Amino acid sequence: MSFVTQRPLELILARNLMSALSTPAFLVDEGGVLVFYNEAAGMMLGKRFEELGTVGADEWGSLFGPFDEAGEPIPYEELPLVTAVRSGRPAHAEYVIHSSDGASHEVEVSAFPILTAHGSQGGIAIFWPTATNGDGARPA
Amino acid sequence: MKIKLWGTRGSIPSPGPETIRYGGNTSCVGVTLSDGSLLALDAGSGIRSLGLALGDEPRRLHILLTHLHLDHILGLAFFAPAFRPQTEIVIWGPASPEASLRDRIARYISAPLSPVEVRELPCDVSFRSAPDSEWEIGPARIRAASVSHRGPTLGYRIDDGGSSLTYIPDHEPGLGADLDRLEEDWISGFALARDTSLLIHDGQYTDAEYPDHIGWGHSPLRDALAFAHRTEAQRTILFHHDPMHSDEFLDRFGAEARERWEALGGDPGAIELGAERAEYELPVRAAGPVATA
Repeated sequence: MSFVTQRPLELILARNLMSALSTPAFLVDEGGVLVFYNEAAGMMLGKRFEELGTVGADEWGSLFGPFDEAGEPIPYEELPLVTAVRSGRPAHAEYVIHSSDGASHEVEVSAFPILTAHGSQGGIAIFWPTATNGDGARPA
Repeated sequence: MKIKLWGTRGSIPSPGPETIRYGGNTSCVGVTLSDGSLLALDAGSGIRSLGLALGDEPRRLHILLTHLHLDHILGLAFFAPAFRPQTEIVIWGPASPEASLRDRIARYISAPLSPVEVRELPCDVSFRSAPDSEWEIGPARIRAASVSHRGPTLGYRIDDGGSSLTYIPDHEPGLGADLDRLEEDWISGFALARDTSLLIHDGQYTDAEYPDHIGWGHSPLRDALAFAHRTEAQRTILFHHDPMHSDEFLDRFGAEARERWEALGGDPGAIELGAERAEYELPVRAAGPVATA
């Protein structure tokens, strides 16, 4: 009998919660792979998660950023989600990302670890609660 | 594997003339493995009858607790084998960062809620947090996984002799999710139940009752059927009956379940409501379980 690989319950519940939020929210697993983002985040990015699917950190960075004020991509090692995953601590920062239509968006990013019952890090949830939009639009 | 339902009710024991056929005892399922080893799944009030049925035979047995809500542990202090010094009992349950399994159970088996303390039990009892990897009990491979309920809660899968039993009595996999559309690896409990020979699953509410109980940790019929359908369980027993549901109500509920299961393309004979004292035997080869009573 071969078992289906199962996501940790903590990530499943986080995804279910995020699905019901109007705040753009992103879910990253312990390996740094973006495993889900909600409809509000999809509106900001201009691409629904169902269209994009899971993506690794490098691919995510090339698609959407984030970028610093000079427009340069911010190295993966400096991203708050990476800080959180690796140190087990929360992080917060302001960034600029690009949506699929090329528009720039200034966002605030809060990242924090999710711990499982066995103490291991099951993933990271990222909320973008006060995101503003470079071209005047605001996410829902 | 031989399986006997000793308690099928949820929430609180509900004895009385209106619950005679499906039973009023809370969750407990006895499992006899192919080598004769005995497991008890949960220790609701039904485990009292299981203990009496064992007689005085000294033996080792395992109790697998899904979680520590009272309706799943309240029979522990009335389990006759626990009061015999020749009995060895291993109790498995969910891990918690707050306290050990023993300490959490001792909150119930202690004054003022109980006349005895855990340390006073005459049997040889030990407590183990269920590991997050597969382990063995006798000839069976046991797998536990956290499932969507209120508080730390496990579901179990027992594989023995080419057949499997999956036990998820308290489960709300559809909370905030559409089970018909969600990818399978994102469905709570999916890996435990995939292709299982016999699934014992929460079916506490009707679809009409569920809106008043969202987030309480239990499934409406819609989600129980969707979960069984998505996991392709060979046979399903709906379990953890609401204490307000009489035998007559459950008869109608079961008929509706069979109709809707057939509409999903399933065999209406492959889904039923759990009834206290019902027995099942899973064949050595995975050809599906055969009800024997």
